[in-house]
Amino acid sequence: MNRRPLWMMAALAVAAIVAAACGGTPSSSATSTPSKGTLTVAGFNFPESSILAYLYGKSLEHDGYKINYKVNLGTREVVAPALESGQIDLYAGYAATDLEYYDKKAGEATGDVTLTVQRLNNHLQSMGLVALNASAAVDQNAFAMTKANSQKYNATKLSDLAPIGNQLVLGAGPECPTRPYCEPGLKSTYGITFKDFKALDTDGPLTRAAFASNTIQVGLVFSSDGDLTKLGLVVLQDDKHLEAADNVVPILRQQAATDEVRAVLNKVDSNLTTTDLITMNSQVSIQHQDPDAVAVAYLQQHAYFA
Amino acid sequence: MSLLGLVWQWFMDPQHWQGSNGVPTRLVEHLHLSVESVLIGAVIALPIGIALGHYGKFGTVAINISNTGRAIPSFGLLVLAFQVFGLGDGPIILALTALAIPPMVTNSYVALREVDPDIKDAARGMGYRELAQVLRVELPLAVPLIMAGVRTSALQVVATATLAAFVAGGGLGRYIVDGYATQVYQEMVAGAILVAGLALATELVLAVLQRALVPRGLRLLKAPTTRRAAVFKVA
Repeated sequence: MNRRPLWMMAALAVAAIVAAACGGTPSSSATSTPSKGTLTVAGFNFPESSILAYLYGKSLEHDGYKINYKVNLGTREVVAPALESGQIDLYAGYAATDLEYYDKKAGEATGDVTLTVQRLNNHLQSMGLVALNASAAVDQNAFAMTKANSQKYNATKLSDLAPIGNQLVLGAGPECPTRPYCEPGLKSTYGITFKDFKALDTDGPLTRAAFASNTIQVGLVFSSDGDLTKLGLVVLQDDKHLEAADNVVPILRQQAATDEVRAVLNKVDSNLTTTDLITMNSQVSIQHQDPDAVAVAYLQQHAYFA
Repeated sequence: MSLLGLVWQWFMDPQHWQGSNGVPTRLVEHLHLSVESVLIGAVIALPIGIALGHYGKFGTVAINISNTGRAIPSFGLLVLAFQVFGLGDGPIILALTALAIPPMVTNSYVALREVDPDIKDAARGMGYRELAQVLRVELPLAVPLIMAGVRTSALQVVATATLAAFVAGGGLGRYIVDGYATQVYQEMVAGAILVAGLALATELVLAVLQRALVPRGLRLLKAPTTRRAAVFKVA
């Protein structure tokens, strides 16, 4: 460490001064209130989870907590046991997926977010954990159309597709024709029978290429993908709640869930929307900004630090 | 039930023999991709190999370049072509053509080089012009080696066209990719069996074609002496 060249140190120092001068951000750790304790916030190993971890963490920091960040900690199989054993205090979960994790895939998750969170809490309670209020922001399977096609077919929600399904090609991963949330569900819940099915990938480059060439008119995406806007895709509203409610929901240890912590997190979640998630995801995945900077910018913009 | 039993059931299910995901449709798609790639490859590779072999120049360079081509991983090229050209048969055929070219260049070059110089001299002496000499003397003699190259290419292409399914293409690879994605392993195995069967059939058809193309005299050269004598007596 001591062998770092002098110019590098100088450059770092200059960068720090410039950042401090330009940013004008009240550095959260510099808040005057004395620390109310230390909390460890974890995130899964994908960018959106890091953003959410920083959203929760930075707003708690502003409130006077000292926060340790463990972003990119791993999959739920890593993060959840860490929470149970007290190595972390909190992570941003997704209601339906977390319920299916804690109920060992019993299939309790539904399209109703309140019910899903309630069932999730039934499982969490005995483990000394708790899920707070779910946010309106969701990251779940969704079906999208290009803006042009959405206008052409006058479709904004999935039930609009029932009468015109025979003119449309559905694209998704090869497993779609056998999965209840995909083609069979669209048929049974919405009565949509598509003209054809094109096996692509799950929300990957093939799906994007197929949209671009109009090979498919309806495709499976994730509702909070950062590039939806850029690609001119609109998500069709799941008006009959086919998809399990994967709303963002903080899951924490009951010991850490003081009234004050609850109030801070509930405030974040009550304002967060899927559109916000899309915007922040695009800032991270397309514009290559850091998740913590994106989270701080969002909180500033929404006057959390005022 | 054992996997083989399930595979047998898969083949017996009439559902798998009709519609846009049925075996006949996938087979036609697979053949379309393969035949087109080998034909385009042949149109590019054979003239180059034949010309270089005939003149005996730049052979080492051409062989080395085409052998470097063999080192290009088809899957990588396929994904790259998909990135550039998007969805469709184009990128798949491009990647498969690139795979088809090297064996045909190398084999046709060597085939023409291997023609006995005395025969070429004799052809010249009998008044053959250059083009006629290539077409009517050298090429017929080179057919077995050229066809060996074509067979190698075709076999590789038929086997590799399976990859098309990875970029949302059709063909028999669909069963392998879809079977894997849905964990219906009998579908995967069925796909693999179909591809293997098609590769063997390709080899067989091309072997017959080669037999038809090789001049009778050349065939007789390799026949046992007794049969040779018999034929010559008749002739």
